[in-house]
Amino acid sequence: MNDARLERTIGLVLGAGAIISFCLLAIGIAGMGVTHVGPLDRPFPPFDLNRLGSDLVALNPAGFLWLGLLAVILTPSVRVLASLLGFAAAGERRMVAVAAIVLAAICLSAALGAGG
Amino acid sequence: MFELLLLVGGGVAAGAFGALLGLGGGVLIVPLLTLGFGLPFREAVGASLVCVIVTSSAAASVYLQRDVANLRLGMTLEMFTAIAALAGGLIAFLLPDRVLAIMFAALLLYVALTMARARDAREAMGVSPGPVAGSGARARHDGPAVADEDGDRDTATADSAIDAGLAEPEPDSSLAASLSGPGYRIHSLGRGVLGSLLAGIVSALFGVGGGIVKVPVMNLIMGVPMRVATATSNLMIGVTASAGGLIYLFRGGIDPYVAAPTAVGVFVGASLASRLADRVDLPVLRLLFIAVLVVTAAQMALRGIG
Repeated sequence: MNDARLERTIGLVLGAGAIISFCLLAIGIAGMGVTHVGPLDRPFPPFDLNRLGSDLVALNPAGFLWLGLLAVILTPSVRVLASLLGFAAAGERRMVAVAAIVLAAICLSAALGAGG
Repeated sequence: MFELLLLVGGGVAAGAFGALLGLGGGVLIVPLLTLGFGLPFREAVGASLVCVIVTSSAAASVYLQRDVANLRLGMTLEMFTAIAALAGGLIAFLLPDRVLAIMFAALLLYVALTMARARDAREAMGVSPGPVAGSGARARHDGPAVADEDGDRDTATADSAIDAGLAEPEPDSSLAASLSGPGYRIHSLGRGVLGSLLAGIVSALFGVGGGIVKVPVMNLIMGVPMRVATATSNLMIGVTASAGGLIYLFRGGIDPYVAAPTAVGVFVGASLASRLADRVDLPVLRLLFIAVLVVTAAQMALRGIG
């Protein structure tokens, strides 16, 4: 895969991530309006991966909000993963290592965040 | 419902105002949420990081498809911004809100000073409104990237930085050469790494993109043309904010009821800005904004002092 093609592919990944995130967040916000949930209502629903599926099935706005926020935060990671695969296909070992280190740093953030 | 609309509206205003002046948004969103809506500082930072990622993803998408950003350089520096953001996120949960508020006030003053001194506010901050909308902005460069008039000036600026002692010329190492782009060569990679570390910590502590650090470092010290530096900074902001954002997400620092409406508002506002850019008197807006930053810094400092 040449550079221009790789960059365009990664650009598409980022654009798709932004659009998907925006749509999920918009659905969640509409749900907040329908169910009369205020943005300053406390306590706010905690982030819980185990509840995400059931909240979505129940059309609970919190499910869409958390899925949208997760999509926002993970979109750059998907971009790095796509870069890693692209560089691997092109045989660029150094850039594969760079991408792997960036991904490792992001995973470490998640692990340290969850562990704290 | 009124509060929800107010929050979305505030996000639209912050996104439009920020994008018109070349800001990522965090500098405006954190004060909006803390001083305007009374949120704790860390929750405001968490929401701001989400907003920063959304606008970065949308803008970087366009920059990459137009072949403006330097992907290799961005990813190499991202290693350091991401690690620093991880550290910054952990530090943020150790510091009291008051200390963070005072430090943020200092950051606001620094941004105000930078904007007051900059030839062009957008260039100083490193984000342009066009690409967020995906329209209305031309490609920064294609093909022989910096062969246009601006590009020549940018490259000359970088070379004169070496003459002025701001940057060190390096022998063309294979790494620096592989990170260079058409029409420019990378200098002072070590200083670029230090700048990236600082940008990562600032991003995670204060919920900003860190472009205010990355763009000058890349342009003045590393010899990257301004337009490429701006685009590459945008690309890096997503990963940097993501590394910090994950710490906030798992430690309860992101309120979905606040972060989502603000992010949607900021995205819409930043998109609208590209259509308004030609109709707004930017020098006047810039002066107004500097005044707003100074007043906000004072309020934030007062909040910190208690």
